[in-house]
Amino acid sequence: MMKDTELNRRDVLKGAGGLGAAGMIGIAGCTGDGGGGGGGATVEVLHGWTGGDGAKAAESLASAWEEAHPDITLEFKPIGGGGNTNLNTVISNRLSNNDPPASFAGWPGKNLVKYEGVLGDLTSVWEDGLKGAHVSEASELCKYNGAYRAVPIGSHRLNCLFYNTSVVEEAGVNPDDLTSASALIDALDTIKTETDKVPMAQAMKAPWTTLQLVGAVLLSTGGYDTYMKVVNGEGGKSAVREAFKTTKTILQNYINDDASSIGFTSANQKIMNGEAAFIHQGNWAAGAFRNKENFAYNEDWGFKTFPGTEGLYTLHFDSFIYPSNNPAPEAGKTWEAFVGSKKAQIAFNKYKGSIPTRTDVAKEEFGPYLSETMDDFASADNRPPTLAHGLAVVPEKLTALKGVISNEFSGPYNVDAATNKFVSTIQG
Amino acid sequence: MRRFFDRLTQARSGRSSHRSSEDDADARDAMADGQRPATDGGVPTGAGTGDGTGSDATPTDEAGALGRGLARLDDRFGEDFVESSPFWLPPFLLMGFFVYGAIAWNVLISLTDYEGFGNADYSQLDFEMYARAFGDPTVVQAAINTFVLLIAFTGICLVLGMLIAILVDRNVRFDNTLRTIYLLPMSLSFVVTAQFWLWMYDYNNGIVNQLLGVVNLGPYNFIGNPRLVLGAVVFALVWQFSGYAMVVYLAALRAIPSEHFEAAKVDGASIPRMYWRVIVPQLKGATISAAVVLMVFALKAFDFLYSLVGGYRPPNGADILATKMVREAYQNTNWAYGSAIAVLLFLMALGVIGPYLAHQYRNDNL
Repeated sequence: MMKDTELNRRDVLKGAGGLGAAGMIGIAGCTGDGGGGGGGATVEVLHGWTGGDGAKAAESLASAWEEAHPDITLEFKPIGGGGNTNLNTVISNRLSNNDPPASFAGWPGKNLVKYEGVLGDLTSVWEDGLKGAHVSEASELCKYNGAYRAVPIGSHRLNCLFYNTSVVEEAGVNPDDLTSASALIDALDTIKTETDKVPMAQAMKAPWTTLQLVGAVLLSTGGYDTYMKVVNGEGGKSAVREAFKTTKTILQNYINDDASSIGFTSANQKIMNGEAAFIHQGNWAAGAFRNKENFAYNEDWGFKTFPGTEGLYTLHFDSFIYPSNNPAPEAGKTWEAFVGSKKAQIAFNKYKGSIPTRTDVAKEEFGPYLSETMDDFASADNRPPTLAHGLAVVPEKLTALKGVISNEFSGPYNVDAATNKFVSTIQG
Repeated sequence: MRRFFDRLTQARSGRSSHRSSEDDADARDAMADGQRPATDGGVPTGAGTGDGTGSDATPTDEAGALGRGLARLDDRFGEDFVESSPFWLPPFLLMGFFVYGAIAWNVLISLTDYEGFGNADYSQLDFEMYARAFGDPTVVQAAINTFVLLIAFTGICLVLGMLIAILVDRNVRFDNTLRTIYLLPMSLSFVVTAQFWLWMYDYNNGIVNQLLGVVNLGPYNFIGNPRLVLGAVVFALVWQFSGYAMVVYLAALRAIPSEHFEAAKVDGASIPRMYWRVIVPQLKGATISAAVVLMVFALKAFDFLYSLVGGYRPPNGADILATKMVREAYQNTNWAYGSAIAVLLFLMALGVIGPYLAHQYRNDNL
């Protein structure tokens, strides 16, 4: 009996030892694999497109790569959750552990400041044909410290106002007549009195939706020059106050009651269900409209440039950033050059609902709505950078601005405090 | 180590009390020949090497010094210190390195100015980050929220848990079913409970506002109103964890001999008086251990808030140190500042655990 138990205990010990050894070998094997990417045969790219349009677009991009470069294996790894929160956390960890991927998806512009010291140089790739082919804002915003650091894959438009056609018709509002913020407010008021629908759908679970609305209103009431002055921290405080005041009027009177507990998807759903008339969003919102059956552009939903921003195209870019100390420096550059090519931009954008940053892409494959957006993009007087999506302000200020919105402007709406903190944050 | 193997082999061959210098030398000799005394396989092989082969081997000075050193260690820390080391040393080193080493490193980083993706500069250490944290109103507010959450959540959980435990203990009908129902929410993950409390708190369709509407209250904007949101979060967490407090109390109540109840009854105490004077004082141990676990859960409310909004920024009015810390570290790459906030959070946790450890130590439980 005693012997039995002793043997058992020893067996357990041996088994545990064996497991431990196997585990160590396994770990050693993993790290070995991880280091093996330097041969140039594989290129590891991290991105955050895990669902819906994004996933389809990423898949299409990956298969376009396989066709173009069958000799280099693409490890296209999606990291989903919390917008891009998890993706950014993983990238932060890997960069600070000196284990960068060959490339990762992220915003260019001021957002690149965050990666100070770990950015590679893509100047050779840009000089080799990309420079002239993309709009000048794209090439400017991909530069940091005098060198190119990223290549854009596509652009979303931010100054959009989408509407449900039947709801605005029920109220007798013609969205095309709205050419100023005050006209928009009048229209919202008409909808409130004439129908039982929500005049404006808004999601406030996270502060970025309100921040981008404030940005759009600022562009509308202040104009392009003032907007640029504000985001560059060169004054314009009275214009910011005006924008907050106008936004307060909208948020206090015309949005859905449950705004604070819903996210963007649910708010967008209200347009599709016919519960709400308008929504301000980037044109990723249109992707959801397109995927809904019997919900056609110009028949069931419509688009209007955000009132007062006609002739402008507020820029948003998705790009692939190229880190230094790259595990696959050459294959990584091949990937970046591919991202900037016609083929990749068509493959990605037609599913993502964004538009190519190249100026020489034919519109046939993009459907009526995106074709119009491409026309607007090409003919825009100015293309101001988006405030809420990393292009206009450095990441730390962006986080602080979201804090200002969350603390001072998510109900109760404190115009004075929000204005002061907003301006001091940008100028700080 | 050698003596460990040596003793082990002696124990195997049933000669555990008998030990001679000859055996020592033999074992050493066997090691020198590259035959480590086998300790596996269940066959007492090691002792077999002791028969004559190495009786003339003389231990080197070095080995003698080692032996004396090990003996001194044994004298200092107890007889089995060296022999038992293969069992406690690896986990001790792993814990020391990965837990306490990591904490120490975190403290070290918080003294630097580390940000971005460069390397930390350890040459200039100061308390600048702590000064910044104490001067930052959002950190102060987050600390206050963390504290309020901790106290309110733990207090309500304990009181509620005790009341339910007393009810269940009084053999009400379906007491087993009730116990399961109360405990069940604890088995759910924060991700699930956060999502469904988000739905329940919804302004238009949420069940909470619907129920309040029946008695002509509300609707309230639980998530959007900064004065309500922390209370709403505490309520949701209490719902999830009061069952745990109940189970701990129930176990303690069942351990109280029924004579105590009877004696109180004989003395003519009313039921509330009996519980207040006789029973509740005996639940002190249960209260302390439940309180510690609940407080640790409260400090981990990060998961709940993260799932609630799907990001690192909780609704206005519910920001806690944990979320603030992650925002600073991962969104702004202010590693040093994030570490300083982490240290503050760690000190709060120590403040919770410390008195408990002291209490246990005084009662000779540690």
